Amino acid sequence: MTTNFIRSRIVPCALFYTALLLGWQVLVVLRIGPSYIFPSPLNVALSLAEGFRDRSFWFGILVSFRRLLTGFSLAIAVGGVLGALLLKSRTFEKTAGSLILGLQTLPSICWFPLALVWFGLSEGSIIFVVVMGSVFSFTMTIHAGLKNIPPIYVNIGRNMGVRGPALLWDVFIPAALPSLLLGLRQSWAFAWRSLLAGELLFNSQGLGFLLNMGRELNDINRVVAVMLVIMAIGVFIDKLVFGRMELAVRTRYGLKPS
Amino acid sequence: MPILKVDIASKSYPANAETLLVFEKIRFEIGRGEFVCLVGPSGCGKTTLLNILAGLDPRYEGEVLFKGRRVDGCDADRLMIFQELGLFPWLTVRENIAFGLKCKKVPAAKRARICSEYLHMVDLARFQDSYIHEISAGMKQRVALARALAMDPEVLLMDEPFSSLDAQARDLLYEELQRIWGITKKTIVFVTHNVREAVCLGDRILVFSAPPVARLKASFSVGLPRPRTIEANGVIDIVKCVFGELKSEIRKTYDHEFHP
Ligand SMILES: Nc1ncnc2c1ncn2[C@@H]1O[C@H](COP(=O)(O)OP(=O)(O)OP(=O)(O)O)[C@@H](O)[C@H]1O
Ligand SMILES: [Mg+2]
Repeated sequence: MTTNFIRSRIVPCALFYTALLLGWQVLVVLRIGPSYIFPSPLNVALSLAEGFRDRSFWFGILVSFRRLLTGFSLAIAVGGVLGALLLKSRTFEKTAGSLILGLQTLPSICWFPLALVWFGLSEGSIIFVVVMGSVFSFTMTIHAGLKNIPPIYVNIGRNMGVRGPALLWDVFIPAALPSLLLGLRQSWAFAWRSLLAGELLFNSQGLGFLLNMGRELNDINRVVAVMLVIMAIGVFIDKLVFGRMELAVRTRYGLKPS
Repeated sequence: MPILKVDIASKSYPANAETLLVFEKIRFEIGRGEFVCLVGPSGCGKTTLLNILAGLDPRYEGEVLFKGRRVDGCDADRLMIFQELGLFPWLTVRENIAFGLKCKKVPAAKRARICSEYLHMVDLARFQDSYIHEISAGMKQRVALARALAMDPEVLLMDEPFSSLDAQARDLLYEELQRIWGITKKTIVFVTHNVREAVCLGDRILVFSAPPVARLKASFSVGLPRPRTIEANGVIDIVKCVFGELKSEIRKTYDHEFHP
């Protein structure tokens, strides 16, 4: 199985990235632009190593993650309650439903001016943007997930005398778990984007700030290095954290891997 | 006193602007410990009736009395075994059987004892830790039966529970259901399309007439000794009678649908 995995995944990936780096190096050798505009792979790698050595990247990651986790937890708490309310109350669904949809379509960066007025150039405004950027998407996916569970499960729960919060907890949530995880993953992506957009805007430390610093110092190597770090984190969280969780749940539920 | 007294003047569903009258004048009683089978053409409202008896559907004219009291909402004393079963895929076989007990806040030790008892009764002890997608259709059927029995309901409402099984698995379950019914003395209302199944299992068989607007058409008592099998001589004679009634109704359904 492992040799098969190496042959089918690792080898093609390694080839692809080698080719990519080579292509990149070729462009550098062809001098399509001066080195302060078009960086070379080697310089980016050096900058990457330097960033981790002088701990500025670690620090940026830490700061960004603290904000992300704060904002995302808030979004999950609020979104979970809103989603459950939408499920529970027809009136709430009919009235607030359209508003929540509207708010969800609003790009998260549009919250920034408001955030600045309310919280100033502070931690609070970035967290606010993270929350606003993900809470409505989470609400909507939670609501859809809970609403679309097979009605038979609800009937069985009711038939056995389960009602109220117990019904939500023992039937709705486990039945909707695969789609809830999907919602979590999607909202996480929204939160992540909102966070970086927010961090770019002022001297905020964090990864977005490092990216902007690179530009201000005219250090293109640093810019690309930070971009790589951001991408790597995104892939890591999406594939390894959420992907694994989803796979575990889907296997247990006897569903096909999505 | 009968355990269930059904007197439904009419039951209808709202259907685009109009209402769809499903059945009317359904009147019968079921005694404690009786095994009653309902047969009738497709669409006559058998599932609808079971939902009403379970308390899942309160929208009808008339009244259903359970032990003399009007049925008002669900009650774990009248448990439905749905045709789709609805076993929870996030729980193991044992956890599925324990589900209702857990919701009823039965203490863990007692719960474990009851679970083991029913796991053995339906012969699934070996599979207690399997997930639902890991067991066969017949086993799923037995888990659903055990899940309902573990709650110790007074009435079991079973909606075509064996329709998706092959003949051999079904024969085994007929045997098993009669055995379990003999031990537990539950009252069972059993819906089926299969007249042989009905005669093999039931003390009494109620035949519905054809839709639209079904009624109770006939009632047959089956006094044959138990345990019965599908091939027993007495069974086949009664099957012929019931089938005669049913066939004319089924023909009406088709006439209505194809030459309205
Ligand atoms: N939730 C519902 N809303 C509207 N109409 C319904 C609903 N459930 C059932 N019906 C209608 O009521 C009638 C009876 O349905 P029901 O499912 O009770 O029939 P049945 O006797 O169980 O049929 P079958 O043997 O095919 O299972 C059908 O005409 C069906 O279209
Ligand atoms: Mg039916």
